[in-house]
Amino acid sequence: MSSSTSTPYADRIKSVLEHEMEPVHLAIFNDSHKHAHHKPMAGNTNPETHFRLEIVSNYFEGKRLPMRHRAVYALFQKEMAEEGGIHAMQLKTLTPKEWEERKARE
Amino acid sequence: MAVTEITNESHFNELTTSLPPATPITISFHTPWAAPCTQMNAVFAYLSEQFRNVAFLSVDAEAHPEISETFDVSAVPFFVFIKHGKVVRELSGADPKELSTAIQELAGSSSTSTTNGTGVSAPSSQPPTKEAGAEEDLNERLQKLVSAAPVMLFMKGTPAAPQCGFSRQLVGILRENQVRFGFFDILKDDAVRQGLKAYSDWPTFPQLYVKGELQGGLDIVKETLADDPDFFKNLNTTA
Repeated sequence: MSSSTSTPYADRIKSVLEHEMEPVHLAIFNDSHKHAHHKPMAGNTNPETHFRLEIVSNYFEGKRLPMRHRAVYALFQKEMAEEGGIHAMQLKTLTPKEWEERKARE
Repeated sequence: MAVTEITNESHFNELTTSLPPATPITISFHTPWAAPCTQMNAVFAYLSEQFRNVAFLSVDAEAHPEISETFDVSAVPFFVFIKHGKVVRELSGADPKELSTAIQELAGSSSTSTTNGTGVSAPSSQPPTKEAGAEEDLNERLQKLVSAAPVMLFMKGTPAAPQCGFSRQLVGILRENQVRFGFFDILKDDAVRQGLKAYSDWPTFPQLYVKGELQGGLDIVKETLADDPDFFKNLNTTA
């Protein structure tokens, strides 16, 4: 259907989050190379195992951190469960208001 | 014979090969920052004076991760019992009576079967039961595990030898904040590893529990501290 991509997981993360959470800011970082030498990663060939995401969305309003993270994880259950799939996702989840406050502080 | 503190891996190899093969050996794995270890170190030293026919070796699990890995140390305090070059028993946890009994058995000739130690390394063998019963048992076991200490860390590897960057960082944060915590190496027990993911609806490790409740992983702990640097201090005062 679409031309082959070298970053299927990153693409999927982006499209799912944009669809489900309509973020005002979304940054996706692939940190897999930082973990490639760790024991649990021995034998792995997937270059997209560890991600770091910054998501700013109203979706998170009224939710404490564990709930926010669970909501994101729930969207990628399949990708995280499959063999050779996504191994970890570090999440920064902010509401637009919190994001503005953080930026003001820096 | 008192307790010999191991200084490095070759020291350890020298000692174990130079001892007469009939001498039973017991090794204590400890870390300087875990309070139960201090108590057990004293018990260990006392027993070393009582049982002079046994070689008592002591290893700082944090300083010598290679030795800890060789013996599959998953929690401290941890005791290994060796006879004729073979590990005949392992004991986890801080129970002086249990340690004393184990040493007695090691020093004597007969061996009796006893249960494993308490502490945060949960026994992984369970009698086979029908599926529903087994699931209930697992949940009960998980409930006990997450509450085993006021602050419980389920991690990959051990604080002495973390097997993943996030686990290592989270241990670092807990130590920086001088938090006393229990830990469980999920790489050593797949039932707990998979069970906990379902039990807490959380797909990744490390996982930090406070008073039996899931706080989250490394990123959440970092954010929590960024918003409230006294988060851990406040826990201690209310414990």
